[in-house]
Amino acid sequence: MLTFVVFSVRRAWQGFWRNSLMSLAATATMILMLLLLAGFWIIQTGLNAGLQFIEQKVEVVADLNDNAPADQLLQVETTLRGMPQVASVTFVSKDQALQDFRARLKARGQEDLTGYLDTNPLPNTLEIKLKNPQDYGNVVDYLDGQPTVVSQVTPIQNLVNQVVTVTNFLRTVGVVVLILVGLTVLFIIVNTIRLAVFARAEEIEIMRLVGASDAFIRWPFIFEGAMVGLFGALITLVVLAVVATPLQEFMYGFFRVLPLQFGTLVVRDLTLLVVGAGVGLGVLGSYVSVRSYLIR
Amino acid sequence: MAPGSSTGLLRHPTLAGDRPPETTSERLVLALRDVAKTYPNGRAALRDVNLTVPEGDFVFLVGPSGAGKTTLIKLLIRDELATAGQVLLDGQDLGRLPRRQVPRVRRKVGIVFQDYKLLPRKSVWENVAFALEVTGTPGRRIGPAVDRVLRLVGLAAQARQLPTQLSGGEQQRTAIARALVHDPRLIIADEPTGNLDPLISWEIIQLLLRINEMGTTVLMATHNAEVVTALRKRVVGLEDGRVVRDEVGGAYHRED
Repeated sequence: MLTFVVFSVRRAWQGFWRNSLMSLAATATMILMLLLLAGFWIIQTGLNAGLQFIEQKVEVVADLNDNAPADQLLQVETTLRGMPQVASVTFVSKDQALQDFRARLKARGQEDLTGYLDTNPLPNTLEIKLKNPQDYGNVVDYLDGQPTVVSQVTPIQNLVNQVVTVTNFLRTVGVVVLILVGLTVLFIIVNTIRLAVFARAEEIEIMRLVGASDAFIRWPFIFEGAMVGLFGALITLVVLAVVATPLQEFMYGFFRVLPLQFGTLVVRDLTLLVVGAGVGLGVLGSYVSVRSYLIR
Repeated sequence: MAPGSSTGLLRHPTLAGDRPPETTSERLVLALRDVAKTYPNGRAALRDVNLTVPEGDFVFLVGPSGAGKTTLIKLLIRDELATAGQVLLDGQDLGRLPRRQVPRVRRKVGIVFQDYKLLPRKSVWENVAFALEVTGTPGRRIGPAVDRVLRLVGLAAQARQLPTQLSGGEQQRTAIARALVHDPRLIIADEPTGNLDPLISWEIIQLLLRINEMGTTVLMATHNAEVVTALRKRVVGLEDGRVVRDEVGGAYHRED
C-alpha cells in the first residue's frame, strides 16, 4: 500500500513537471476559479450576516412627534399591543436614542460630535416587533392613520426585502459564473491529464503487458489532477491572506454596520471550501480523462 | 521415424474437429480449444484453433504474415478475447476471467517483442525494475530480483546504461530480463530476432533455450527459418487463421 502511494505520488510529480506549461496553465485557471469562488462566498456570507443582523432588529419603527399628547401615545401603544400581528412594542425615548447613537459612534471609533448640538435631533420612537416579519401592512396602515402622534413610519422589512433581492441576484449570477468557470477548469484539467496520459502511452502499454493493475495505471494521473487542485488552492489561500486585511477594511467601509470579520470559523470554512473545490475538481477532471482513455 | 516416439517426428492430427492428444499426465501451461477470433470489422483472424502446450515445452509458431500469429498472442495475454472456444492459461479460462483478475494472470506470462519496447529514459536496471514496481512489489524485493535476472541474461555490467547506449541484442536481452523478472510460467516471444543480424539472433535463441532448460515454457513466433529448422523443436504452423501443422522436431517449412 505504501509502495503504491509512493509510486503514484512520485509519478504524479514527474508527470506534472514533464508538461509544466500545460500544468501551470491548468493551475492558473484553477486559481482564477477559486478566487472567484472565495470572493462570492465572502460577499454572500457578509450579506447573509447583515441580513440576520437587520432581521434581528425591530421590524417597524415609528418616529413620534415630540409634542404628541401623552394620552394619545398611550392609546396608540395599547392598540398596537392588541393587534394580533404584533409581538412586542418598545418605547425608545429620544435621550436613550442619543445615548445609543453615541455608543455606536464610540464602538466604531468615530469622533462624537453630538456634544455640539443644542438640542437632541433624534425623535422618540416606537420599535415594533412582529410575529411574522412579512406581516407589516396593517401595522403600518394603522400608524399612518395617527398623524398627531406618528410623524414617520419605516417598515424595516422593505429594507430587508431589498437586501434579499440583491443577495438572491448576486447568488444567481455568482452560481452561473462559477459553473461556467468551473466547467472551463474541468475542460482544461481533462486536457492536461490527457496530454500526460499520451506522454506516457508507451509506459502504460508496458505496464499493461507486465500485469500492472488498473489502480497502478490510473492513480498517478488522479494524483496529478489532485496536485493541480492542491497547488491552485494553496496559492489562492496565500493571495486571500495577503488581501484579507485591506479587503476587510473595504468591506467594513462598504457595509458599515454589518459585523463582517474573518473570524476563525470563517477562515476555516473558507480554507475547506477552497481546498475541497480545488482538489475535488482536479480529481474529477483527471478521473474523466483517464477513464475515457483507459477503458477498453 | 515412428509417430509417438519421444525423439522422433510426431504429427498431431490437425484436421478440423480433431484434437491433439491430451497430455493429462503433464500440467498444461496453455490450452486452446476450438478457438476462433473474428474482429469487429468481420475479418476472421483465427478459426478452429486447438493447441496445448505442456509445461516446459519450447514451441515455434510459424506462418506467413497475416496468418494469425499476432492475434493468437493477443488472445494468450487477454489483450483480445476469443469470439468462440476456450483459452486456458495455467488452467484459467481467460474468457471468463473478471477484469480485475487480468493483471494477475498477465504476470504469469512474460512477453518479448521485436521492437523490445524498452523505456528510453530508464536505464537497463530501471527498465527491468519497472515491471516489478508497477505490480506493487515491495522495494526490498525488487533489487535482488533485478540483479538476478540481469546476471542470467548477461547484462550485469550494463545495468546502469540507457537502452540507446546498447546494441540491438543487448536491448532484446534487457527485454527478456524484464519478461523473466516475474518468474512467469510462459515466455511469449513475438519475432524476437526480427531486427537482429544472424549472429546476434543465435545469441538470443540460445538465451531463450537456456531459460527453457531452466523450466520456463517458451512460445516463440518467428520467421527465422534457419533457426527453426536447425533446432528441431516443436513447430506449430498457422495459415489463414488455422493450425495447418503441429509437429515435434519440425522444420520451418513443411517437409511432406
